[in-house]
Amino acid sequence: MKHTPILVELWRFRGLLRSLVVRDLKVKYQRSLLGLVWTLLNPLLTMVILVTVFTYVLRIQVPHYWAYLLSGFFAWNFIQWTLYQSTTVLRQHASLSRSVYYPPEILILSASLSKLVEFLLEIVIVMIALVAFHHRAIPSSLILFPVIVAIQLIMAIGLMFPLAVFSVLYYDLQHALPIVITSLFYISPVFYPVEMIPEAARPYYYLNPLVGVLELFHVILYEGRWPSLTLLASVSAVALAICACGHAVFKRYKEICVEIA
Amino acid sequence: MRSPDPKTGPAVVCRGVVKQFYLYSHRTTSLREWFIRSALGRPIHIRHAEFSLRDFNLRVDRGETVALIGPNGGGKSTVLRLIAGIYTPTAGTVETSGRIAAVIELGAGFNMELTGAENIELYGSIMGLGRDRLARHFDEIVSFAGIGKFIETPVKYYSSGMMARLAFSVAVNAQPEILLLDEVLAVGDQSFQEKCHERLRAFQAGGGTMVIVSHDLNTVSAFCSRVVWLESGLTRMGGDAGTVVEAYRASADRGGRQAG
Repeated sequence: MKHTPILVELWRFRGLLRSLVVRDLKVKYQRSLLGLVWTLLNPLLTMVILVTVFTYVLRIQVPHYWAYLLSGFFAWNFIQWTLYQSTTVLRQHASLSRSVYYPPEILILSASLSKLVEFLLEIVIVMIALVAFHHRAIPSSLILFPVIVAIQLIMAIGLMFPLAVFSVLYYDLQHALPIVITSLFYISPVFYPVEMIPEAARPYYYLNPLVGVLELFHVILYEGRWPSLTLLASVSAVALAICACGHAVFKRYKEICVEIA
Repeated sequence: MRSPDPKTGPAVVCRGVVKQFYLYSHRTTSLREWFIRSALGRPIHIRHAEFSLRDFNLRVDRGETVALIGPNGGGKSTVLRLIAGIYTPTAGTVETSGRIAAVIELGAGFNMELTGAENIELYGSIMGLGRDRLARHFDEIVSFAGIGKFIETPVKYYSSGMMARLAFSVAVNAQPEILLLDEVLAVGDQSFQEKCHERLRAFQAGGGTMVIVSHDLNTVSAFCSRVVWLESGLTRMGGDAGTVVEAYRASADRGGRQAG
């Protein structure tokens, strides 16, 4: 068990992963009348507010502003909720972890994948809206969509790893995370384009790993263009690096977390 | 941790296993405190090592049933968790060969909002049952657990006995090679216990290996060839079931009289 590579180990437990994702979705939606509508309603309401404010009050000069917002907002929403989930997921499964063996990475994967299912349902609706009212055609760049979803998922998982173990070790994280997420919302291109950031500040702005991911969403969904190879390659590299480092941290602390969670 | 030969050789081997936990009389869990404590040069955590298990050796052969007995806090559940691979030993090695199913905390892994049927599916995959195997054994699991018409009821409305029966039923139907049971033989009513015993005998007859933790010495004597008596993390005695159970009974009686 000790020396099995983690990917092999995860593959062995894919049945459990699947069941955990199904459980998450069932528990969330099975006994609610509106079910998935709730997942949509919440971000949609936020979007209506943002569109109103930034079209009529603080006029942001982007054609079809609603389309711009729609292209990135759900990706942002996905990352935000996976980060929140990561702070509770290990403690939620503490009793399970103390009674059966499974690689704890499974918990991170299941939390992110059940969010991904919701995200995919949302984004399909978004794409239909964009194709129908914004592009009035099907842009070829949509072929790349699965690739950017994969990049987004890998980056989210990479960020969840350290958050998950440190929130077991230090309860502060749960209090700090809302502040961090609010700040991230403002320093990421969710409701404004990167071009509005002053030229001089851009290099620092790009230190936020979410900037590149959101830019990819905007290029592919909103602009309907193919992204430059540089952008695609660099964001993928950053996502993989975050995932590898995040997992190294997780691995270092996961055993103690199983014992004390 | 897997030994190379799964067919012959022992099912479980623990060699010189030590498991140490830290007992915190003060554990810093907030950054504010961490800053204050490091600024003042105070230790971040105040803790001392507590041995849950010291120099533990156990060899369980294929098809054998071994019981762990002893007072609470003796390290019995820790042994099961080490065998299951949930805990990593602080020192020593634990080797197992064969598929393991463990029922250590009853109902862990059940989701209270889901129905019995949904939980069978969930708990089945926790126990390592494939989807097709689960489908084949589903009716058997339900009838063995005696859940009947409550199968479509959320588990939160189950009695603790029903939940225990369901958990046990899934675990034995997972057809493990090694079954780890912690105090689960004591659950359920008389008739269910008889069914359990019957089932465990069939498991033994089929060459299954079991390690059980139990306070019920009658069950222990009935099922096990060998017993290990653990106390404060140390092996007080190990060997033939009759001898160890008798010695343990005698010691418990003495303890009882002294306390009284």
